[in-house]
Amino acid sequence: MKKDPNKGYIALLGWSLNAIEAAENFDRRYVVVAPDWAEEYCQKHDIPYVSWNFERLNDRSMEIAETLKEMGVDVAIPMFEETVEWAGAINSLLLDNPRLYGQSLLLRDKALMKRRAQLGGIRVGIFEEAHDKGDVIRFLKRVNQTLLKLDGDPNDPIHLKAFDKAGCLGHRVIRTPDEVDTIPDEEFPVLMESHLDGWEFAVEAWIHNGKIAFLNISEYVTLGYSVFVPASPELESYRPQITAQIEKLIKAFDIEFGLIHPEYFVTSDGEMYFGEVAYRPPGFKVFELLERVYGFNAYQASMLVFDPKTSADEVKAFFPKEIEDADGYAGCFGVYPRRRVVSKLEIPEEVEDDPYFESHELTPPIEETVTKRTAFGTHWGLIYFKGDEAARMKELLKHMEELDFYV
Amino acid sequence: MTTHRHTQDASDQPAGSDKLTGLLAKLDEAIRLLAESRDFAKPGKLPRVLDTARRVLLQEGGAAAIELRSRELEEAGIFLGSDWETPQHLVPSLTTHALQSADANTVVIEALSELRLLAVAKGDYLHPLVSPEQSHHYLTQTMALNLRLLFSAPTEAERESQGRLAQIPRNLFHHLAERIGYEHIVDKLIEEIWRILEQRPIQVEPIKQMVTQIALCQANPDIDLGGSGQGADRLVSSLFGPTRACREDPGVDVYRERLSSMDTAALQGEATGFARAMHDTGLVSPYHPVLLRHLLDYSDHLLSEALGLSSTGRDCMLCYRELVHALIRGAVYPATAQAAYGLALTLERGILYQPPVAPAMWRQLGLGLSEWSQARLNLAYGEEISPRARLLEGVLCMLGLPLGVGQGNNPTCQSARALSMWAYNDPDYLLQMVAWAARDDDIIMHFEGMPLSSMASVSGVAQSLPMDLDPVSLIVVPHLDRIYAEMGRRCIGREGDPHRWVNPEFHGWWSGRGFRINVDVATGQLYELDDFLRHFYASYHPYYNGNQPLIHPQPAGIAVTDNTARFIGWHAITILRVSLDPTEVMRVYFFNPNNDSGQDWGDGVRVSTAGNGERFGEASLPFEQFASRLYIFHYDPLERGELAKITQEELDRVIGYIHRSWGADRIPPTDLQADEGPGSAP
Repeated sequence: MKKDPNKGYIALLGWSLNAIEAAENFDRRYVVVAPDWAEEYCQKHDIPYVSWNFERLNDRSMEIAETLKEMGVDVAIPMFEETVEWAGAINSLLLDNPRLYGQSLLLRDKALMKRRAQLGGIRVGIFEEAHDKGDVIRFLKRVNQTLLKLDGDPNDPIHLKAFDKAGCLGHRVIRTPDEVDTIPDEEFPVLMESHLDGWEFAVEAWIHNGKIAFLNISEYVTLGYSVFVPASPELESYRPQITAQIEKLIKAFDIEFGLIHPEYFVTSDGEMYFGEVAYRPPGFKVFELLERVYGFNAYQASMLVFDPKTSADEVKAFFPKEIEDADGYAGCFGVYPRRRVVSKLEIPEEVEDDPYFESHELTPPIEETVTKRTAFGTHWGLIYFKGDEAARMKELLKHMEELDFYV
Repeated sequence: MTTHRHTQDASDQPAGSDKLTGLLAKLDEAIRLLAESRDFAKPGKLPRVLDTARRVLLQEGGAAAIELRSRELEEAGIFLGSDWETPQHLVPSLTTHALQSADANTVVIEALSELRLLAVAKGDYLHPLVSPEQSHHYLTQTMALNLRLLFSAPTEAERESQGRLAQIPRNLFHHLAERIGYEHIVDKLIEEIWRILEQRPIQVEPIKQMVTQIALCQANPDIDLGGSGQGADRLVSSLFGPTRACREDPGVDVYRERLSSMDTAALQGEATGFARAMHDTGLVSPYHPVLLRHLLDYSDHLLSEALGLSSTGRDCMLCYRELVHALIRGAVYPATAQAAYGLALTLERGILYQPPVAPAMWRQLGLGLSEWSQARLNLAYGEEISPRARLLEGVLCMLGLPLGVGQGNNPTCQSARALSMWAYNDPDYLLQMVAWAARDDDIIMHFEGMPLSSMASVSGVAQSLPMDLDPVSLIVVPHLDRIYAEMGRRCIGREGDPHRWVNPEFHGWWSGRGFRINVDVATGQLYELDDFLRHFYASYHPYYNGNQPLIHPQPAGIAVTDNTARFIGWHAITILRVSLDPTEVMRVYFFNPNNDSGQDWGDGVRVSTAGNGERFGEASLPFEQFASRLYIFHYDPLERGELAKITQEELDRVIGYIHRSWGADRIPPTDLQADEGPGSAP
């Protein structure tokens, strides 16, 4: 698409083909900042590119910020969890706002993030950092004592998460002290949280000038397996409360612009508990789902709200009206093989013949033996659905968990 | 039944077409996304198009809907970066494999390509790379080759590997046949069957199936064959009713009864009828064995007539009367009808006169098969007939048709070549191998004095046990393959190509110990090309070797190229003879263990299988063209012709063929320099 020189010049931090494609078809100039293995590909396909290996921030980190500044880049957008603090560091120079770097560090460390939320008057569960297995056992005991459990009663589980990884990576559920032994030492330190019974959901909110430009609620059917957008009418009935929560979050983290992706629990009494928040595109292809129902490209939406040259009018014109403008429900399901030994991919006929079924990105198995899942692990591919009824979608996604896709 | 189907159709139709409409909306959306995306992003959009297209193809009317969209699909970039991007280079014979693939994407993209060519053939889609005529030709060939998919339900094997996917090729071919017309397919198919039959393969089961399909097609009032299918009469009758008494295909029991009331004149008529059909086509009707068995107790004269023997064969039969009777009793049943043809040709070859052959046949008749051998034969051929009779049929066919051996769909050309060479040149050795393999599950061969046991050798070239073979190959090839691979392992670390040592030890003493190769093994570059060719001419070309006809079949190595002359791989063949063809062109006649020798190797090099003086099963090329694809040959170091006499022009023509095909990217730097200075040629 023809680029408008009066609009911002954007750097995409990290390699995301979907983001690049969106940028190609958008009226902003852009450049991809990615490791050197991407160079040949970018040259071949005429993709503007700057080489950079994102390791830990170090003394040389200013180099990339200065390179981008010299090129006239206005803002950097993180594509992955690992590039969030890079974007913070780079934007603090590009936008001449040193606080942005500190903010990004808050958004990268799950323990710091929770404290900050707590200080901002947001409800969170009980949490603590653990440095070794002893810490985990103590926390498990204490949480269950608080719940007035007696010896022999089944424990309430606790959740362990890496400080700085995206989504379900490194996420474990621990119920008994025996299970603590299965955690490899190199996973420490970790964040421990009490388990919250409730309805888990996520939000994607695009923020411009400190205000919510578009707020989507993504409903999880089962965490780590399935999600659909927009949320069912039951969950959407909480929209006013959820919006209030997001506004609190914006204030607590002092967010002026960008895309945030927080997770919450709503308990049976309607109370919202904050889980965590990420400053990057969500996993599980929620962007694709949004495009299916609303028709706008979520990567372009992010570029729009990050770009300091964007006017309020343009933002207003870009986004559709939440819920009203959605033409159905789009959901996806992450497939895990259920058997220990698999030889081929076989989509069940009932799935294929379902009118809601759209497409899948499953590939035939490479190995016959399925590695045992220790943590939540990574799914083998997604299947996409679209349809008119939220209840049917939910039921369908739930039912998927009982089917074998790899046999 | 009809009413039932009607009601079902009526209730299914709306639901079915609703489903198709829904899927087509999804497909159009997916095509749009692919079309709109940049080249770099297209691979990410492909899976959705292919998967949706797969579901469309499963629906009734799906193929037609895709045909309508074939231009959009191609322009959206569905074939980008794949072999299907250049339809002018597509090879019909590869479709069979692609359409039976277990991988859904392969099946779907092949189907999409076929439908695209259909749109081109019909003139609906003006394609920049292929003409409507080319497309039409390609599609008729493809359909002829896959006729089975058009007329029969999925086999157990397909169901196992493809599941629901197996329905797609069938839906595709029904649509193609309706659009192109059955008459085009049937004529093409008949031509194809005759072309293959002229090579007299041992395995005729696939051909019998195709002939059966044609017969069914002719009998089906719903299929309008137009004026086509005339050439099929001989094929159909030779299987289902070659003589007066079985003209209407009455079944073998009725036929047996009819025989018992026939007089000599009537039997004579039956005998000549069968013999003519068998020798015309190479196919044997199941009725034929019924007559042969009946004649055993009646008349040797009529038996000889029924086998269609010449004076040579008849003499041989009468000399070894008891053996021949025993062979017919033991091997020739309606289920093993081809044994009759094998027996007739074995007698014609006169090989029973070689002292060890007749006793070896007696051993074969009484051979006890190991459990393993019995199980393999039963698994491959079913249990209708005893494994021993099945193997005996195989032995007779291999001795009668040494050049009819095929390697099936396996990388075992070396073993197939060895079996063929022994059947041709050393039949009692072949019988020995069969006995060891079938009875003892072990073959021992010697390599440079060291015994190699097939049982002790770890693995062969083939990764899995081949099943699609004739009975003898089925039993013997697994052993030979392991021994061949073991010989190769013994050569690890030696400089140069291992065939130098392996070929003579593996095939027999008559393989020349002298060895030449024109490729440098380390670099893959052409090596001493001039000398190589001069030496080949001097060893094999009658004008340069003192007019000496080739005495023993010799193993040789070929660089196989495709129809655009691109290198495909190295392949083992046997040079059988070199002589002038009916038009006075010097030709090399050779055996190719590949199942169909009639191949187009590109750059005008078309391997001929009939019409240029070939005997059954032989392939041939003019000497120069053959030399241009040769990369390994053996010779007798003591018999060397005259290198000097070959003219440079002749060699340059051969080298031209090499440089335009498999040698194009193997020209060493020094050669290039020589090319650049034509004045400095030696």
